[in-house]
Amino acid sequence: MSMWQMVRSLSLCLLLGATAASAQVEEGELRLFGYFQNQFEYESDVENNKDDATTFGLPQLNVLMQKDLAPRWRSFVNFEVLNSFSSSRRWGAFNIEEAWTRYRLSKEFSLKLGLQIPIFNHLNEIKNRTPLLPYSIRPLVYESSFNEILSLEEYLPARTFVQAYGFVPYQNAKIDYAVFLGNSPNVRTVQDEGQSGVDTTNTFLIGGRVGTRWRDLKVGVSATRDEVNSFQAAHNELGESSNFSGQWSRLRLGGDLSYDDGRWRLDGEFIAVEYDEDIAKAKFDKRFYYGTLGYYATEQLFAYVSYWFNKEHFSVLSVVGDRLVVLSDSFDIKVPNLGAAYNVNDRVVVKVQLARGDIESNNDLVQERKFDVYSGAVSVFF
Amino acid sequence: MKHTVFLIACLWCWTGEAAAQVAVIAHKDVRADTVARSQLFDFYAGDLKFWADGTPIIVLDLKPKTEVKKTFYKYLGKSSSRMKSIWLKRMLSGEGDPPQAFKSEEELLQKVMLTPGAVGFVATEKVNEQVKVLVVIEEK
Repeated sequence: MSMWQMVRSLSLCLLLGATAASAQVEEGELRLFGYFQNQFEYESDVENNKDDATTFGLPQLNVLMQKDLAPRWRSFVNFEVLNSFSSSRRWGAFNIEEAWTRYRLSKEFSLKLGLQIPIFNHLNEIKNRTPLLPYSIRPLVYESSFNEILSLEEYLPARTFVQAYGFVPYQNAKIDYAVFLGNSPNVRTVQDEGQSGVDTTNTFLIGGRVGTRWRDLKVGVSATRDEVNSFQAAHNELGESSNFSGQWSRLRLGGDLSYDDGRWRLDGEFIAVEYDEDIAKAKFDKRFYYGTLGYYATEQLFAYVSYWFNKEHFSVLSVVGDRLVVLSDSFDIKVPNLGAAYNVNDRVVVKVQLARGDIESNNDLVQERKFDVYSGAVSVFF
Repeated sequence: MKHTVFLIACLWCWTGEAAAQVAVIAHKDVRADTVARSQLFDFYAGDLKFWADGTPIIVLDLKPKTEVKKTFYKYLGKSSSRMKSIWLKRMLSGEGDPPQAFKSEEELLQKVMLTPGAVGFVATEKVNEQVKVLVVIEEK
């Protein structure tokens, strides 16, 4: 199906939906709710104690607004504040994470239009919903407050604008699917060059997830594909005659598994990021895995052990004369950790976590380090 | 011997009283005459939101942790606190709302009687003719 055929089908579907809905318009009330997580962290360097640090913070606060516009139609807005945001003190970040309208035709088909977090693996869509997660520090690439340190959007599709999803029952199982379409990462950030926040290329992010739920088991595979033009400057410098392209294909692949037998819970995911890198011999591939085994000691208390692994290749490209010089290297981050979450009531979750971070690197650009992080957090849903 | 028989009879009666027999009820205009356990779970988990005729499914819950509530959620295969996690996830994702919860079975019954598409659960002895019984759960 061509892009125009797809757009035409979507428009027709929406038009039909709107006609059906207008016959019995019933607006719901505007609902305002949200959640936040306050946290305390003590970080201690394992090899020398000179970098020890303690900090209180508000790593995550989200205010959500929801309104049913008509039967089968819902709108939803999600404002997000990260890292104790303060514009006057110039720290933290404020984002509009979601602003979408959803039309639900049936369990097999819903269509969400507008800014949204796409379904990718198990955690992406709910990574910022701190009351749902037992972690006070989330598995590396899902920890939004690391956005200023790690390039999280390399691993995960952070936003998309059109998504169709649903599930199809098959015998005792449910087959879940989601397909989405969004901007490429080539978004203008410099206002002097024109309108900021817009895609500067005519390429799209295309992705989706297919999975199944059978009893207490949930498994799925996810993928996205987009074009990254981060290397356009080097391409321009080398000139059109060079065989170095400034725009590369990026493929993200993911897999997720969750199993809950009542007392025990197992969660695991992998993410592989692959670049089309044949020409430049540069490496930007990335890998991320996490696995968590948890136990519900009581209905309120969940204890877990978890292991996160990150391998990131990076390259520094520079043009010397008419030659492209590429320096490639990599680093690993390993984080074994354990923790517990206690539901004080339906709205308050207390969390503790101990994590050992181990950054392994054999280059000067990334500092090798071993450190322990002790953290406690209170996640509140209001 | 007579005392032993009497004691056993008392115990039997006592355990009989402790067992909760729960009726899954729906508004009388709901066309379905019965509902499978998996389908009921999907109603409460928010996966199914409409009856076959397109009427929205309004799921109702009880606030107090009574035997009736425990029996119902045991039948669904999840504890009520685990169901709350499922609702919270759907709510925070903008995908659904938790069921409206009532302080008593009488209030819940009243709501089912008055709300087209409503489904809930009460002890069987509370059921009246103005609601439809979809399933009777017997639990000892």
